[in-house]
Amino acid sequence: MRDNTLKYLLVLPAVVVVFATAIWPLIEAARLSFTVGRLNRPGSLDQYLGWENYAWAFLEEPAFWNSVWVTAVYTTLTVGLTTILALGLALLLAPGGRLRSSAQTLLILPFAMSPALIGVSFRFMFNPEFGLFDAFFGVLIPPLADVSWLADPTLAFAVVVMADVWGWIPFLTLVLIGGLASVPRDTIEAAQVDGASGWRVFRDVTLPQLGPVLAVVIILKSIFSLKTFDQVFMLTNGGPGTATQTLSHYIYFNGMKYGQIGYSAAVAWLMVIPMIFLTYAYAKFVFRKG
Amino acid sequence: MAEIRLDNLTKRWGDFVGVDNQSLHIRDREFLVLLGPSGCGKTTTMRMIAGLEEPTAGEIRIGDRLVNDDLPKDRDVAMVFQNYGLYPHMTIFENIAYPLRVRGVAKSDIRPRVEKAAEQVELTEFLDRKPKALSGGQRQRVALARAIVRTPKVFLMDEPLSNLDAKLRVTMRAELKHLSRELQITTVYVTHDQIEAMTLADRVAVMKHGVIQQLGTPDEIYNDPANLFVAGFIGSPAMNLIDGSVKDGMFVTTGGTRLVKIDAQDRDAAILGVRADDMQVHEAGQGDIDVKIYAFENTGESTLLTVQWGRQRVIARGDRHLRKDQNDVVGISLNEDHLYLFDPETENRIRI
Repeated sequence: MRDNTLKYLLVLPAVVVVFATAIWPLIEAARLSFTVGRLNRPGSLDQYLGWENYAWAFLEEPAFWNSVWVTAVYTTLTVGLTTILALGLALLLAPGGRLRSSAQTLLILPFAMSPALIGVSFRFMFNPEFGLFDAFFGVLIPPLADVSWLADPTLAFAVVVMADVWGWIPFLTLVLIGGLASVPRDTIEAAQVDGASGWRVFRDVTLPQLGPVLAVVIILKSIFSLKTFDQVFMLTNGGPGTATQTLSHYIYFNGMKYGQIGYSAAVAWLMVIPMIFLTYAYAKFVFRKG
Repeated sequence: MAEIRLDNLTKRWGDFVGVDNQSLHIRDREFLVLLGPSGCGKTTTMRMIAGLEEPTAGEIRIGDRLVNDDLPKDRDVAMVFQNYGLYPHMTIFENIAYPLRVRGVAKSDIRPRVEKAAEQVELTEFLDRKPKALSGGQRQRVALARAIVRTPKVFLMDEPLSNLDAKLRVTMRAELKHLSRELQITTVYVTHDQIEAMTLADRVAVMKHGVIQQLGTPDEIYNDPANLFVAGFIGSPAMNLIDGSVKDGMFVTTGGTRLVKIDAQDRDAAILGVRADDMQVHEAGQGDIDVKIYAFENTGESTLLTVQWGRQRVIARGDRHLRKDQNDVVGISLNEDHLYLFDPETENRIRI
């Protein structure tokens, strides 16, 4: 067998798997998004409807726009907070930083937890009757002890953001520690001798050289934030009301709960668009030449 | 412009002693070279002067000021790093301008000063490029320009030429010497290359195991080594060191050859040091002793004869026109005025 043929044969299984599990569902979802697509109506999965599902989402559904808004705010907050906090931690933990590196091992633990588990445990911790935080506040800040964290729209949102930031900081920190380690020490020391203060060394020399790693981190975290589902599902189930309903949750609810497969396929496709941009940007940074 | 005074300076990492209780006075406008093999504490000493390493004990003074607790930025020193330490995301202009910018020099002043520094190191045409687009030698010049763009009290140079190829190193060495003579700023220069030390230094401090073995002018270091280590480290080829003893005013090799007259007391064990240039090569029978050639090398400007001397090998330098072959026998005589005697126990020089 020629090397060339063998080459393609070896790649083929992977291509088949990706096609069957990712490409085909995408195509099928695109088809469904143009049908009536109701699970409780036989034949409706093939009943062509044109762009009506899309029009419905844009024009008739405040809940859609609500979930877009929730997702946007959620993504902005989680990406921003996680990146900033992880960068701070990485600076402390990096070689030559101020904390011993044994702390690095401890740090990875939250990331080892599944997002669903994080959701459940945070729900328990914030329970107003027997939650851990409730006990804490009872002793330290009594006025906060009786707050029903997950019943208030703003607070519930804050708790969801917090749980996500908590879960993601370790991974981002580790990546950034790696990034910091690859910044040549010479350049930092040169800046110190040249007369820069600690802050200016960071701003003028460390941060610009960390740029590509930081970009990858932000893009990656944005992708994960945009598609957040499990934590929301376990922690608040989108509530109270729709205060914490992300797009993924909205899609799931419409498709699985209300049986509106056609409509939820259309919304899912709307979500694919920013994802494609982000994935493209990510690939560009990761597979950058030089 | 300033003198540097190190008093009882020590640097330890756990049990490892980097610099061991050393004192050194570097004069104003002096070009001092710290010379030694890797791990001898020379770079650590310089980094402590820069403030990049904190001394375990001892005092560092630049000018009249005790700088132990000063951050690098407050010590008014400029440093050239072995790997240049250029800022890869900045243009050459921005690199050179950085020390000025960060010290709050007025914008209108920066451009002329950067251009002058660039001119001094012949970099003017590259100011808009990034470091990546430059060759090693050019990057080295950028690092130099960044150091000279302001007038610091002290220049610190950490093996600045060691990443350049051999040819470029010679060129840059001369440029560096020229520049340092023009600028007249106190300079501490770290290297493991004894030729760099010899050619650049006003004074050389030879270091080993965190201790300064000898401090002196290149002449003193070369012609009057304080101990076995300095004798063996300086000079190319290295000084020949021959094991033997002193008996009745003669140096006798371990093999029993009565080699050369030496004006010293009898002793059972001694090491004779003699440089290749202080051994004359004659035809067989015309020197003090006859030896067999182990290897004959022609370097162009001279010839090097490695000869077998009992169990030891010794290198003698011959005339550039001399042509001999392996296993030929030649006569060798030693220049009695340039012999060094060392105690093999203490490794110290025995003054003759």
